[in-house]
Amino acid sequence: MIGKAGRMTRWLAGAAMALVLATGPGMADAVLDRGIGSEWSSLDPQVNFDAAAGWILMDAYEGLVTYGPGGGVQPGQAESWDMSEDGKTYTFHLREGLKWSNGDPVTAQEFVDSVFRTLDPATVSEKGYYFYSVVKIKGAEAIANGEAKDTSGLGVTAPDDRTVVIEMETPAPHLLNIMGAFQIPPLHGPSYAANGAAGFVDPAKLVTNGAYTITEIVPQSHVLLTKNPNYWDAANVKIEQVKYHVTEDVGTEFKRFQAGEIDITYDVPVNQLEELKTSMPDALKVTPSTETTYYSFNLTKPELQDVNVRTALSLAINRELLQEKIVKGGAIPAYSYAGGFDPTYDGPMMPGFELSQEEREAKAKELMAAAGYGPDNPLKLTIVTTVAEDRVRLAQGVALMWKQVLGVQATAEPMERKAWLDAFYAGGWDVFADNLVGDFAGAETFLAYMRPSAEPGYNWVKPEYDAQMDLAATMPDAASRNVELAKAEKILLDDVIFAPIAKEPLRRLVSPKVKGYVPAVTDYINSQFLTLEP
Amino acid sequence: MLRFVGRRLWSGGLTLAALVTLTFFVMRLAPGGPFSRNRKISPEVQANIEAAFHLDEPVWQQFGRFVWGVLRFDLGPSTRHRDYSVNDLIASGLPYSLTIGFWAVVVATLVGVALGIAGALRRNGVTDYVAGIVGVIGIAIPIFVIGPVLQVIFGLRLQWLPIGGWDGTWRSLVLPVTVLALPNIAYISRLTRTSMIETLRENYVRTARAKGIGWRRVLWRHTLTGALLPVIAYLGPATAAIITGSILIETIFAVPGIGRHFVDAALNRDYPLVMGITLLYGGLLILFNIGTDVVRALLDPRIRNER
Repeated sequence: MIGKAGRMTRWLAGAAMALVLATGPGMADAVLDRGIGSEWSSLDPQVNFDAAAGWILMDAYEGLVTYGPGGGVQPGQAESWDMSEDGKTYTFHLREGLKWSNGDPVTAQEFVDSVFRTLDPATVSEKGYYFYSVVKIKGAEAIANGEAKDTSGLGVTAPDDRTVVIEMETPAPHLLNIMGAFQIPPLHGPSYAANGAAGFVDPAKLVTNGAYTITEIVPQSHVLLTKNPNYWDAANVKIEQVKYHVTEDVGTEFKRFQAGEIDITYDVPVNQLEELKTSMPDALKVTPSTETTYYSFNLTKPELQDVNVRTALSLAINRELLQEKIVKGGAIPAYSYAGGFDPTYDGPMMPGFELSQEEREAKAKELMAAAGYGPDNPLKLTIVTTVAEDRVRLAQGVALMWKQVLGVQATAEPMERKAWLDAFYAGGWDVFADNLVGDFAGAETFLAYMRPSAEPGYNWVKPEYDAQMDLAATMPDAASRNVELAKAEKILLDDVIFAPIAKEPLRRLVSPKVKGYVPAVTDYINSQFLTLEP
Repeated sequence: MLRFVGRRLWSGGLTLAALVTLTFFVMRLAPGGPFSRNRKISPEVQANIEAAFHLDEPVWQQFGRFVWGVLRFDLGPSTRHRDYSVNDLIASGLPYSLTIGFWAVVVATLVGVALGIAGALRRNGVTDYVAGIVGVIGIAIPIFVIGPVLQVIFGLRLQWLPIGGWDGTWRSLVLPVTVLALPNIAYISRLTRTSMIETLRENYVRTARAKGIGWRRVLWRHTLTGALLPVIAYLGPATAAIITGSILIETIFAVPGIGRHFVDAALNRDYPLVMGITLLYGGLLILFNIGTDVVRALLDPRIRNER
């Protein structure tokens, strides 16, 4: 019997050895492996609404313009464009001989069809928001609301096969940014007519016009893209295949990066950020994004209706200390709201920015005492935040500073994301740990969001702000528009309806094998501009 | 026997119906909905989107729609994964979860039984202690610790195996199967060991030895068949638990299985997907339990006659 057990052990050992011998280190390959975090919500170009899926779609489909390395708008399917004097009409001229991946010619009408399909209620797409809210394309809202049933009233037209005209109700210099980011990809008529929306996730049927075409889709696993030989600039596309991996667990993604399974990560474990700065200085990229964090005050609560109390709370936050010692996630302390994204925008700073932190805290104490709060009568606040580790640390840090400087009894109340969203509209919070990702790298996307008509949840009614934003919207060129927007931001910051906290970073590990990676605030890194060294 | 099976199926069906009904309404109590987000889209568009998924209807009507769908084997469209129906997503994820689950059960049974026998035969010997230590590790250390540790050892240091993902070969199976099997190896080996020790003391085993039958024959013919009965009883529910319990493992090893969809769906309030997977998991658990009951009833008449 001993012999039997012994033989079993030997067999197991042998099997283990065989397993070891049969495997070797992963071989070098010509595929660029990129992490995208959670799974894409849709690969339907007219439906997709999330940024990570946007990377896949921007590799596969190309709009009239695109984002180049570093995030600058550059010609895409259109080789040039003209803007009318009033800034309301853009005319795009398509390149000659553009082709789909199956060889069909790309026509101007296919861009019109794409906009119509995005807006058509039958498509059930949320993306039409960009066409009737962020920029106001003529007739877009009527289609979205189901009032118009065809393209006859739509401000996107194709006078001939190589010309696309976009007419807007108000001038919008950021139209190009919107088109660069969320694009208006053309809609291939024959395949859509034959397969409907299901055709966008069937590699055997789908047709693309970008640098790559989609060759394999496995839900919760990956999307594989292969170079499209019919792309107009195919000669300059260096990487043959790109594989986007679902990398939900940031710890696993990090280990996969270390093992060489992932070349560009989606995120970096926040608690290892400090260590990575020394251990992987070349691979680690911590760069600004278009996400800003701010703590909103509930203006329906009587104790927060006093602007002096709100100012005191804002001044008592030591933003530098918060990021350097408590959160340590690579965020940049912020003293304004809409500034810092577009280098040509020269915006105002929050009241008290000119003071040192000690002076700010002294002034905060003064304001709080004047408002009648003190050790016998402390202000009590709850901060509603999401459960993400760094967000909770941030809220606890702010609560601690309010307690130490002002004697405010603040508690952080972490909530799962959907509950947090719901809590905002329910309105029971005192302080809401808010964050906003801009639609493009400009002040307007942030400032427009604060209009009472855009977000009534803040309960901030300010006719002067609306008037100033309306005025800014009539400015056809970016420079004069920024001047008016800065005046609007001044009105906003002076009312202290929120305390600016930080500009959030993009945290990423990029393998030294990958060349041509230029960080961009909008975070669109098209694979066609990258190269892979063996 | 037929009545016994019928009775079990009937009560299993009722349990499943209760589970699904409860899940449906509890899910609706959770704050937020599939389309709540902090972007202002026009109210007409919001209403249109909600109507497309019948979220504008009263809850009882939505429940009726769901039940009617289940009867036609149509679990509806996913609200988060807009390109797929719930049926598509289950069809794409289930094979991965089943593959991992199947191999985990096989490995857990083979290794667990082998360790248990070895431990029972050489009590307090080296093998017994090793089996005991493996057992304690398997039960005490949670998989979210063991998983990353094995990833570091076999993926990063030794570079024998991929850290995560699914490359279609056995290499990406090894780590998730091992981690999933580990706690069960522990249970099965302890179960086998205890049961073996008991059986070895039975009179019929001693009689067999006294009759001069060789050790090996006594072990395989007389002892093992009796000693493995509790293990078989354990395997039914364990198989269901392994298949439905790979959620964390799928996340850690980036396996595109169904467990990932389940978590994702709950966080995103993807009502149809949550309901679909609940129905599937509930059905699997109940079926495996009924299967175990039937096997035990076949072996033991006392069970099938109980009221």
